[in-house]
Amino acid sequence: MATDLASGNLIITLYLLHFVFSLFTAELRNLRLSIAALVIQSLTLAGILATYASISGNPTLYWWSLTALITKVILIPYLLWLYVRQLPTAETRPWLSTGLSVAVMLILAVVFYSFLHTNVEFIAPTLQASMEPARSNLALSLTICTLGLWVLVVRKDAVKAVIGLVLLENGVHLSLVTLAPTLPETTILGIVSNVIITVWLLLYLAGRIYQTFGTTDTSILSELRH
Amino acid sequence: MGNLIEVTSTLPILVFVVPVGFAALIFALGRVHTIFREWLALLGLVITLAISLAIAGQTLDGKLLFAWNRNLYADGLSALMEVLGSGIGIIIVIYSIRYLTHHQIGMPLNKWRHTYFYGLLVLFIGTLNWVCISNSLIFMWVSMEATTLSAAFLVTFYWQRQSIEAGYKYLLLVSVGVTLALLGCVLIYAAAIPLLPSENVLFLTELGKVAKLMPESVVLIACAMFVAGFGTKAGLIPFHAWLPDAHAEAPVPVSALLSGVVITIGAYALARTVTIFAPYYPAVVLFIAILASISMVIGIVMALVQDDLKRLLAYSSISQIAYVIEGLGLGTYLGIYGGLFHLVNHTLVKSLLFLCAGALMYATGSRKISELGVAFKKMPVTAFCFFVGALAIGGLPPFNCFMSKLTLFIALTERELLWAAIIGAGTGMVTVACFIWVTYRIFWTKPVAVTNPQITGKEVPFPMQVSMLVLAAGCILLGVFPNLLYPMLNAATTSILGILSAGG
Repeated sequence: MATDLASGNLIITLYLLHFVFSLFTAELRNLRLSIAALVIQSLTLAGILATYASISGNPTLYWWSLTALITKVILIPYLLWLYVRQLPTAETRPWLSTGLSVAVMLILAVVFYSFLHTNVEFIAPTLQASMEPARSNLALSLTICTLGLWVLVVRKDAVKAVIGLVLLENGVHLSLVTLAPTLPETTILGIVSNVIITVWLLLYLAGRIYQTFGTTDTSILSELRH
Repeated sequence: MGNLIEVTSTLPILVFVVPVGFAALIFALGRVHTIFREWLALLGLVITLAISLAIAGQTLDGKLLFAWNRNLYADGLSALMEVLGSGIGIIIVIYSIRYLTHHQIGMPLNKWRHTYFYGLLVLFIGTLNWVCISNSLIFMWVSMEATTLSAAFLVTFYWQRQSIEAGYKYLLLVSVGVTLALLGCVLIYAAAIPLLPSENVLFLTELGKVAKLMPESVVLIACAMFVAGFGTKAGLIPFHAWLPDAHAEAPVPVSALLSGVVITIGAYALARTVTIFAPYYPAVVLFIAILASISMVIGIVMALVQDDLKRLLAYSSISQIAYVIEGLGLGTYLGIYGGLFHLVNHTLVKSLLFLCAGALMYATGSRKISELGVAFKKMPVTAFCFFVGALAIGGLPPFNCFMSKLTLFIALTERELLWAAIIGAGTGMVTVACFIWVTYRIFWTKPVAVTNPQITGKEVPFPMQVSMLVLAAGCILLGVFPNLLYPMLNAATTSILGILSAGG
């Protein structure tokens, strides 16, 4: 019982850390710091997976955690780092000023989270998924997805958009642990290798955009067309 | 319907492994000699087509092919998509042989670039076949993303400013959309866990059995995710932003592939997921009918105002794929049949029109309708093919789209969606007007003065003509004898309904 309580507390701590570092990843305007935040965000994701593995006694989840560690904590940030190294440190000025963007995002995230948390039955496919800690997990993962989409909508920087996509995918990945813990490891490998290749190709194209245009500002790109 | 025989077969594995193997060969040897590029690609695709036809033959005999512990699976619908994909692939390779080496359009022969063009093209057909043989919900998602990835560098082929931008936009938007679809897949998987034995939960073939037992709110949200995700791939409005840019900036053979095959993969995925739930959830049917009607109308209206011929064709694709999705969303025999029939017809017609646009660009060096003026007499074959395509896409008899649109309208009225049928018919009339106007502006206005000596203004080389004529013949043949395709379409439709009726 004591260990249950301890791991329960551990999970809640990890949820909080995950949430906070998702906000940092989304909001930091310095691309290198944003990537650093993404590393910690992914690390907490791997931690959540490992904790679930120990609570549920499902050994496959340890493999998931290891996969997340290798792909999300090491490979994807490394790829991002490779390309960001050649670019200016600050991302292209977004549509919203920093203060406004942080405020809107915080309100959005908190409102969305509490709404989902109270109404989780609506999307929970089973009774089990509507009970703690799955309840918080579902609400949190969908909130992270929303943060990712928010980044994709309001940011003009090509690399930042890739970070938004990674956030979105991490959100979906987080939901897997409560929705589909019985997924075979091969499936997880299929999903993450797809994500890595997508990120790699996108960064390659973002790099080519920078070489051709001298900027990674995607709003300029569409202005050139017309 | 209930007497389909399940057999184990290696064909579903071959149809994926063969093109991927050929793609690897092309990447490895392509730079050595042209034989290892276009001719190897052609050989690979012909073999793939033969395997696809073998699968089709088996499914016509009422068989369902399983492989690799039921993880791979081929039915009538898979066979239809595979035959269509490899067939169009062959036509596109034949067309590209002369088109890509034309200096005016591309650039001086770059061996590496041509190698990766043919390599990726064959790889793309391989990943397409992988989508069609995946029985696992999640692996269907993985392979869908693989098709997106393998087509990305085909879009950026010219590596110019606009093409890089278009490629980036395509990859980013489609990946975001498809990630949403992953969430839908996971929700459906989670809802199926308590209802199915654990070894079967992932299988598309099993989902129909439990479709009506899942919690309604979960199914509705998952369907919304599928429509947003796979709809992005299919180019449904409002998820279409990548489509016009990618179609316009990619080389013409790739545009034909994008409109003819890539967006139909989105429709295929919807047929495998949303169609399963449509009969039990009328809200899904209505949702799709509304979205599709909006896409149809906005697509054709946007097409009307384009001066860029390729962008016009791209917007028209948005409009046409909406008919397909509307039909598939109905979940009835007639709806699915009409949707699939229109899918085949749209693939033929739109590939034809893009290849004609390429021929016009080849001859005049421009893709702006206002600068394209070509005398009918100078390019009779291209002009003839363009006429056929323009009349067919408008849904006029005796061309192929007439029959498929008619089927769709009947299917819509049958499900008491008369308003959708009226919108569809109205869109059809605007489409006719749009394409007659375009044809008039291209072939009946005064040709532009030729300034560049490399621009011939003459008929295009023979292989390009052959590709166009084959597609045009297909449009006429299916229009005059719509029953030619009946066995395959019937097998495809009954295979979807077979999954459905498994639920009893």
